[in-house]
Amino acid sequence: MLNYIVRRVLFMIPTLIGITFVVFLLLALSPGGIGAALSVSGGQQDASKAAILQVYLEDRYGLNDPVIVQYGRWMHRISPLKFGTRDQVTPAGERLQEPKDIPAPPLSAFAGAIVDRAAIEAAACDPNQLVLRGANEIECQRNYRKIANDALTARSKYLAARRGFESALVDYANAAKRPDLLDRKGKIIMTRLETEVPDQANAAWPKVEVAAKDLREAFARAVASRQVLARAFAERPFPEAGFTVIPGILWVGTPDLGTAFSKSRPVTGLLLDALPVTLLINFIAFPIIYLIAIPSGILASARAGSWFDKLSGATYVALWSIPTVWAGVLAVGYLANNQYLGMFPVSGLHDRAAESWTFLPGLQVDGVWHMGWLLDVTWHMVLPVSCLVYGGFAVLSKQTRAAMLDNFSADYVRTAKAKGVSRKDVVIHHVFRNSLLPLITMFVTVFPATLAGSVVIERIFSVPGMGSLMLDAIAQRDRELILADTFMIAVVNLGALLLADILYAVADPRVSYE
Amino acid sequence: MSKQLTKEPASISGIEAMRGVGAAHAKGFWADAWDRVVGRFGARIALAWIGTIAFFAVLAPVLANAHPIYRKNLETGVWDSPLWQNLTSVDIALLAGALFGLPFVCMPLGAAMRVGMPERSSRLLMLLLGAVQAGLTIVISTGVSAWSRDSESVTWIRELARSSSFPWMAASTVGVVMAILAAIMVGRPATGARMRWLVIVLAAMVAIGASASRWSDRLVNFDIYDTQESSGKYDIVYTLVPFSPEFGRSDTYVFPPMTTLGERAPAMKGRPIGQRIVLLGTDALGKDVLSQMMWACRLSISIGLVSTGISVLIGVSIGAIMGFFGGWVDLLLFRVVEIFMAIPVLFLLIVAAAVLPRNTYMMMAIIGCVSWTGAARFTRAEFYKLRKQDFVQGAQAAGLPLRSVLFRHMLPNGVTPVLVDASFAVAAAIIAEATLSYLGLGPDGQSSWGKLLSSATGTTGTFVWWLAIFPGLAIFLTVLSYNMLGEAMRDAIDPKLRKAAH
Repeated sequence: MLNYIVRRVLFMIPTLIGITFVVFLLLALSPGGIGAALSVSGGQQDASKAAILQVYLEDRYGLNDPVIVQYGRWMHRISPLKFGTRDQVTPAGERLQEPKDIPAPPLSAFAGAIVDRAAIEAAACDPNQLVLRGANEIECQRNYRKIANDALTARSKYLAARRGFESALVDYANAAKRPDLLDRKGKIIMTRLETEVPDQANAAWPKVEVAAKDLREAFARAVASRQVLARAFAERPFPEAGFTVIPGILWVGTPDLGTAFSKSRPVTGLLLDALPVTLLINFIAFPIIYLIAIPSGILASARAGSWFDKLSGATYVALWSIPTVWAGVLAVGYLANNQYLGMFPVSGLHDRAAESWTFLPGLQVDGVWHMGWLLDVTWHMVLPVSCLVYGGFAVLSKQTRAAMLDNFSADYVRTAKAKGVSRKDVVIHHVFRNSLLPLITMFVTVFPATLAGSVVIERIFSVPGMGSLMLDAIAQRDRELILADTFMIAVVNLGALLLADILYAVADPRVSYE
Repeated sequence: MSKQLTKEPASISGIEAMRGVGAAHAKGFWADAWDRVVGRFGARIALAWIGTIAFFAVLAPVLANAHPIYRKNLETGVWDSPLWQNLTSVDIALLAGALFGLPFVCMPLGAAMRVGMPERSSRLLMLLLGAVQAGLTIVISTGVSAWSRDSESVTWIRELARSSSFPWMAASTVGVVMAILAAIMVGRPATGARMRWLVIVLAAMVAIGASASRWSDRLVNFDIYDTQESSGKYDIVYTLVPFSPEFGRSDTYVFPPMTTLGERAPAMKGRPIGQRIVLLGTDALGKDVLSQMMWACRLSISIGLVSTGISVLIGVSIGAIMGFFGGWVDLLLFRVVEIFMAIPVLFLLIVAAAVLPRNTYMMMAIIGCVSWTGAARFTRAEFYKLRKQDFVQGAQAAGLPLRSVLFRHMLPNGVTPVLVDASFAVAAAIIAEATLSYLGLGPDGQSSWGKLLSSATGTTGTFVWWLAIFPGLAIFLTVLSYNMLGEAMRDAIDPKLRKAAH
């Protein structure tokens, strides 16, 4: 059994890689790419700042690299085995990686002198002194933040200057009437310019010279501040993540799901807030589904053809056909809205005041009797859970009935009846025990459907679970959050399916996975 | 069943059987299954409802349109039909298809034989293929039209697109290519070959004419009709529901059902438009709900059928390959199936619908490409059983090509569970579309029941009951119909369940 579980868990890895790759590909396929929504989210600002933000985002998420490279980088972050030096973890849970290298400026030979990178790096800071001059850890961390911000600004300014240089070169090519220097999208082809001799008489030449000078200066600043940051990072102001396997080369750590830019919070924290809510709803719903489905299925099959059987059969098809969105909207409108009954809360998981209440009902600190935290959450859960339950138990009862009927016509049941075993015993001990297996198999189809149903339910009832998180992330095109959410849902789903298989072996002694 | 048996002779001797006595009563597998399905009361009701939806889907432009069907200038005596002028190519193709297609399929066998037509099932197949051919022509032509006017397309094409003959040239090229493809795909069937060519040519002609004459979108001004009518110089006749789904006014915001517009919108009082009644009320954008519901039938019926068609096509092909070859091919492809099963379909749908372009065709493709795993698993299991059977091994030994072995010999024997499942898949696709539209991820510029439903609990916090009840009921009834049809089909086809049910 253990062997089987380990094998199944290992088989999950390619599946998880596959599913995240599919989602990654979808995001990359979208018009404007992953960065489209990022760059419009800046709102109103002047053009130069927008350009800086744009290049910063492209640089941060590596949007200019091929999809496969971006995906590889993401995989490296979430894999437990990582290469390079260990990350540092800020108190907010954000992971800090070693600062990225500054790419060399293009075409340094075409316009202006070559910049000596080593000299700038050497001049940036004194090798014998600490960069983070702080009295204590907190101060060091604050200094680190400041240095990191400086480096980030310098880096984005350098990347923006590169853009400016490129557009100056495009003007140069246009003024020289040289369309062969431009590609189909109107971008300059650097490799063709490398061998050219600059034409000083060109109308755009002064512009190129100015842009080249800007570029050199920005590069010098970026390299210097990056060098300072690298030194600061090496001084390790924050605690380190994971364990070292081979120093500086390989280490083991928990997956880093990145930072959600739309909420400016580490994704892990967001998921840890949302996942329990979704799991709670589903774990309340499931026992209810099985508790209703099994007795009604048994009853329907024991009296097959009776009015109860026919009525319940018709009801189940109808229940099963009610779209979750409709049920949710009707429940909110008629049961929760004050225009009509107003019996249930319209949204959320608990009352705003419930935080200060005791767990069980009773007199609260303000001297008034309240229902307490537990009852309050239960009361908020009634509508979402019932919307989640009805479809599931309809499917499951029909399945129970079919499975029971299959067994009713089996030889051993006829034998038992002939021996004079009481009808109740036949139904419960003979037929039902053998009908359990299809019910466990049905879990495989019902669970994903319920999990997906909770996305819609969470939106309708404003419950802050995985579904709401996903829809928010999609509205903002927050790549990190979408990927992490999909990944997490896949893990939960696969885990549930594995659990069903294990239960299957427990329920049926004939099944062994060896 | 028992009634029919009593009509037949009590016993047939071997000689009589050889002479063909009783042969007229014998039915094929599918005909028998169909009779069983139609024999059930619930299934008949379900079929009637789906028929109603299809009726509204085809006739929506003629039933609910803010363009008048007839307009006559009383001074000059000139008359025209703005409704006809504003029909899109899809509208025209649907109307033409229904007009010719229904008599073509419904013609009784005797009369059909006299004019050289084949039996009904192959006529139905021909119509289906013709519809696919015409539909693809129109979709591609629309794409070419949008692309040729796009600012990013190549310069000479953009200039060519300005000439008046370009729509006809482009649409004819697309139409002829699609007709040739349709002819190659089908080959030469033994019966009704001439009829097949006729259908191909007719479909191509209708599609080319429709897409070339309606090459680019028109700008619409609905208010002009009201102005003309109230000036008294025009005689105007409207359709049954004189509203278009895109016809929204800011002063008709959320009117309850059975409201006369003039009573609640002071600006409309005394004008002809003020006398109109909104039967099912208006939505949060001031659009008539009834006309939106009628036009939404189109999305509902097409998205269900087309996306299921796509998913069955993908699922059967992949499942057939998996089941037939087994081994490492099976192992590898099953990992792909597992990837799609690892995550609830709705999650993938949401991601895909959010990032890809929002139009109906993309929506169909997305739902089809995400939900094929069921069909693949069913086909795989069936093919796994079939491949060891004698007739398959015989076909292989006879040296038939793989295509023939897989799809001509094995598929008809293994497709039953997929087809039963397809009816449930249509229901699931309709629910998926409604859910996505509810979440605001549905196709743009297309009325949909889910979109209406989403404005029932609006931002204002009030609950608009007519936006919840009517569209929700429509979704529910349609899904219920397909589910009941699926149940009836499963009971009719699966003898094991049939036995268990009694």
